[in-house]
Amino acid sequence: MNRSFPWKTVFLLVALAIFMIFYPKWVGSYFLHLTVAAFLTMILSSSWDILARTGQVSVGQAGLFGIGAYTAALLFQWIHLQPVLGMLAGAILAMGVATLLGYLTLRLRGIYFSITTIAFSEALSVIWLMTPSVTGGAMGVSSPPLFGGNREHAYYLILVALALVIFVVWLIESSRLNLAFTAIRENEDVANVMGINPTRYKILAFMISAFFTGFAGGFYSHYNTYIIPHEVFGLGISIGCLVMPIFGGLYTITGPIIGTIVIKVIEEYLRVTISYGHQIAYGLILVVVVLFMPEGLVGLWRRRILPLFNRDQG
Amino acid sequence: MDWASFLQSLANGILIAGLYAAVTLGLTLVLGVMGIVNFAHGELVMLGAYSTFWLFTLLGIDPMLSIPMSGLILFFIGLPIYRFTIRPILKDPPLNQLLLTLGISIFLQNLAMILWKADSRAVITSYSGMSLHLGMVHVGLTRLVTFLIAVTLTIFLILFLYKARPGRAMRAVSENNTASWLIGINVQKTYLLAFGVASGLAGASGALVSTIMYTFPMVGFKLSLKAFCILILGGLGNIPGALFGSLILGLTESFVGTYAPEGSGWAEGISFMLIMVILIIKPTGLAGTRRE
Repeated sequence: MNRSFPWKTVFLLVALAIFMIFYPKWVGSYFLHLTVAAFLTMILSSSWDILARTGQVSVGQAGLFGIGAYTAALLFQWIHLQPVLGMLAGAILAMGVATLLGYLTLRLRGIYFSITTIAFSEALSVIWLMTPSVTGGAMGVSSPPLFGGNREHAYYLILVALALVIFVVWLIESSRLNLAFTAIRENEDVANVMGINPTRYKILAFMISAFFTGFAGGFYSHYNTYIIPHEVFGLGISIGCLVMPIFGGLYTITGPIIGTIVIKVIEEYLRVTISYGHQIAYGLILVVVVLFMPEGLVGLWRRRILPLFNRDQG
Repeated sequence: MDWASFLQSLANGILIAGLYAAVTLGLTLVLGVMGIVNFAHGELVMLGAYSTFWLFTLLGIDPMLSIPMSGLILFFIGLPIYRFTIRPILKDPPLNQLLLTLGISIFLQNLAMILWKADSRAVITSYSGMSLHLGMVHVGLTRLVTFLIAVTLTIFLILFLYKARPGRAMRAVSENNTASWLIGINVQKTYLLAFGVASGLAGASGALVSTIMYTFPMVGFKLSLKAFCILILGGLGNIPGALFGSLILGLTESFVGTYAPEGSGWAEGISFMLIMVILIIKPTGLAGTRRE
């Protein structure tokens, strides 16, 4: 892209923003609910992708999600903290935990880190089940509906959060951070020699990732009004966080968004057709993407579909 | 100190360690021979447990007799999994291998959920409740037999790897696959066989799992995590290490279960906490061989 002001991009963004602001007026309540759920997943998948840019695959985002969810829910239960503040508290706590966890484990490479993150979320699940006096145990914690059950307000809140995540991803992508992340991902030893401290950058990426994941957890607990350890710390959430960006296309802004939209549609269809095990699609998608389309949908678009149009025009 | 409960915990720990070792064997074999951490290994164990359950429920075949059948069934499930999914990514970065096998794992979990629902199923035989009294210690008959079979499986695998030709080829390939190829070993065939044998071992250990635990779609995932813990405890990809790791995990779980307040609940989390603690203290695993 050239240096002149990107009128086209700005115009598209403004149009998108206006569309998104008026969106709740045009769709029904059920569709709005689906959209909120999809936005929540987009936040999770985009923030997973931030960490993935440094070459670290977290399979334990549910741990951070659960911390956010429980912080928000329990703070409301204990001191009636305003829900949005509770979500922020959840985000900050998740970020703190990620900093500590990252400091301890991000020296580990590749698969070791992934296994540690699974162990982390499963360990939290056990701790939560075993300390019911503090955490509510297996019975979970409930909170009153967010904004008195006003779905439109919830929509605007999650829209702002999503916009913020995308803005942060864009900032990372257009700054020197992206170069450092990519260098670490491509070859950690070389990055180290070039004067990039891999662990420090990985922790930074993990912190940003955890902040938004924790916020999403807090939002979920208030929006859903009810959380249990098996769900918020569950494998399903951790897998969801990674399938969407991998399917959409790794290390891109649009990949996690597109991946989420397509998978949510498939999932919603499967949920209606089969009562159990609709996550079978996640497994299938992971296998197919790794084997046949390593750059995901975005890569497929860039490599296969775009050239067709260009040829037609030329 | 109460000796009876101490000895009982010791016995329980050792017996469950036998099962853990059986579950970990196949994972160790695949990791040792082709350098892949197979996240779907637990799901193969789960399928073995279900096949034993159905052989028992529908045809009345005793679970101890169906061990070779479950092994064989899983051997033949393992071959196409290797051929069509693992083989194309043998040279890929480890994270791709992780994502692929994780995908297979999620697929099989949910397939089991669709086919057989989330119900916990138990194989209850006429001898399930029997136990032996050895001094102060009670040993469940099923647990003891399970342990003995697990030990037998381990001995067979070691004999296979050291005495049989294909087993020796596997060891050669794990040392150096190019050199093995040069001296005329068919590396691809060896990988295929190793994955098949590992799946067969998963099936056999699944049969054991079905007799002393509940069988449900997520049982494999739980066992996978325990097996990872064992690998990290014992060092990656070697069998003596896996046995050592199994013993440590089995005993720790058993003693925490007995002596900690509400121990049986906490024991479930021991493996996760061990994984984190060991990797934090010693990032290359307790036995410390480095494998990227």
